[in-house]
Amino acid sequence: MRVELLEKIEGEAFLDMECERGRIQNIYVRFPHYRGIEEILRSRPALDALVINPRICGICGHAHLIATAMVLEKVSGIVPTQKAKKIREITRFCEIVQNHLKWFYLVIFVQLGLPFDMDRVQRIIREINKLLAIFGGQWPHSSYALPGGVTCDPTQLEILQASHIAQSLQREFGLLFGDFDIKNLQKDLKKLFDKLNRLDVLHLGKGYDRFIVFGSDGYVQNAKLLHGKIRPARLEYVKEQEQPKSFAKRVTYKGKFYETGPLARTMIRGGTFVKRLHRRYKDSLTTRIFARIYEAAQLLQNIKNNLSTLDLSQESAIEASLQDGKASIAIEAARGSLIHTVEIENQRIKNYSIVTPTQWNLSNGSKDNLSLIQKALVGAPCTHTDLIFRTFDICSVCTTH
Amino acid sequence: MKPKILWLQGVTCNGNSHSFFNLPNFKTLYDQFEWLYHPILPSKLSLDELFDAKPEILVLEGGLKNGWQKGQEEVVALFLKLASRAKRVVAVGSCAVYGGVFREYEKSISGVLFQGEQKSRWYEALKAKTINIPGCPAHPEWIAFGLSAAQPHLDSYHRPKEIFAYTVHSGCSRNEYFEWKVDAEGFGTKEGCLYYKQGCQAPYTHGSCNKILWNEINSKTRAGTPCFGCTEPQFPKKELFKTKTYMGIPATMPLGVPKRAYLTLTGVAKSFRIERLTQRLIDES
Repeated sequence: MRVELLEKIEGEAFLDMECERGRIQNIYVRFPHYRGIEEILRSRPALDALVINPRICGICGHAHLIATAMVLEKVSGIVPTQKAKKIREITRFCEIVQNHLKWFYLVIFVQLGLPFDMDRVQRIIREINKLLAIFGGQWPHSSYALPGGVTCDPTQLEILQASHIAQSLQREFGLLFGDFDIKNLQKDLKKLFDKLNRLDVLHLGKGYDRFIVFGSDGYVQNAKLLHGKIRPARLEYVKEQEQPKSFAKRVTYKGKFYETGPLARTMIRGGTFVKRLHRRYKDSLTTRIFARIYEAAQLLQNIKNNLSTLDLSQESAIEASLQDGKASIAIEAARGSLIHTVEIENQRIKNYSIVTPTQWNLSNGSKDNLSLIQKALVGAPCTHTDLIFRTFDICSVCTTH
Repeated sequence: MKPKILWLQGVTCNGNSHSFFNLPNFKTLYDQFEWLYHPILPSKLSLDELFDAKPEILVLEGGLKNGWQKGQEEVVALFLKLASRAKRVVAVGSCAVYGGVFREYEKSISGVLFQGEQKSRWYEALKAKTINIPGCPAHPEWIAFGLSAAQPHLDSYHRPKEIFAYTVHSGCSRNEYFEWKVDAEGFGTKEGCLYYKQGCQAPYTHGSCNKILWNEINSKTRAGTPCFGCTEPQFPKKELFKTKTYMGIPATMPLGVPKRAYLTLTGVAKSFRIERLTQRLIDES
């Protein structure tokens, strides 16, 4: 047994690994940190969660904000306007896009030793965050969504600014990735594919080929995909359990481990690019990597569509009075489905519980029921552990909120 | 020779690392240093190689907590070892400056020079070389200033006055409504000041959020969100979307303004009704 440190994954994790004849025999993931978010929320006024929860995570805190606003709305039966919903979707999608680009270059390209234009990539990411901030005020750690809607009240001028950014980003995406055509991969996609091919890792990192999406929005609809069949994914079948030696909890659906995130979303959504990759490489690291960057390009289009269909005459926020009660909701964050559950009593938080995407993908299973990450790693060459891990785009801080 | 820089994390959400990556002309600044370690950017060393590193500038992001693991090391010991060798320590973000939001769970978490409002046990040893850049997160331009400025003017919390002599209120696009005491009726409008009912702390919070805008384009208060006072040691207070009032007057006065002066001015302002400020700026329907 050896212990390896996995770093630069929005924090760290320890891997207890058994390696024999160069192949991984067994692996156990431990997250060493805990910051007590759910304890901090207890007995606070309900709306304070809108300020505390983004601080769960520096890279996907905006998803936590939107989830918080939505779960508080569900408790009280508040339904915001279409305008508010679309604006929230725009900003949440922006966060996902910037995340995917950071991961693609700062994690995957760096891991593989591939060169890239840092100046350009940083500028693109900055622009996406600027688009978000036109509505959210700032990124990271905006608190602009609240039960009833959003605090901003954009004018046509802001919509025009945002649309121009979205258009120029689409052009930049074209320059970086070309067309997403599997027969004719171009530019940075080709660079990456060739490298994976040279390393002979294209088929590594396969999971169970089971996917789950709990959120529903303008991009993807709630579903689980098992043996080619699509069924609804229901929150009542989600189970969280403590794990020894780790602050992360194991999470399963009807006792099974599922993959969540961009690969799950693109598989459920359909679309030829990822379907074709999947036909050839199944749910390997190749399909997982390309699905993530393909999704970023798709989301840019969704952002543009939302911008062009916003009805500014609707209210940004409707009057909302908070009720006591309990509710759960799920939304799609960068790394997959994010579940927030809250119980409100006397306008204060009695309990708050959060299940993050990385918990789905990086749980530990047992010998006869390997978790997704264990399934993806056991039998793989020990030299590629790091790479396979990183294709799941791990968020340590979220996992151990 | 480029100055060596090492960015260490304690108890954190990574928000400052990501905020920093929003800096305009990022590459220009990035290339001015030799990066020994950064949690998200390419850098020379791995976490387990940091103990023997000799950085000239040490950045701390996140609070200091005994027993908190950084690879094989314990973060407080690692920080103190590196700080003893560094010429400058830059505490980036309110967690590194005061202990921050996670103190709400674990009171023993501390910033470099301050633990909440109190001086920390390292204050005397490190005060001469430490610059504090609070904020949750800190603004990228503030971080860049903390890394680069030769001799910033520091206030009593060791924050550069170039940034923190301002209040978040200065430059807010809702200033007219503040002057004439016109409050926002609720959330989601361009009009009205958020100081009277919605809990905005901008008039008494140090920071230049409305002078150097966020993401080069906006700020919380411009987007209709109250300022939550995230650059101050008391962050996060409770009941963040509601102004605490005393006899109908905000309980906390704008920075440095005596209550009597405030009441006098408010009385005068409120005795006039400025028609323009009671109407919507744009009729959208």
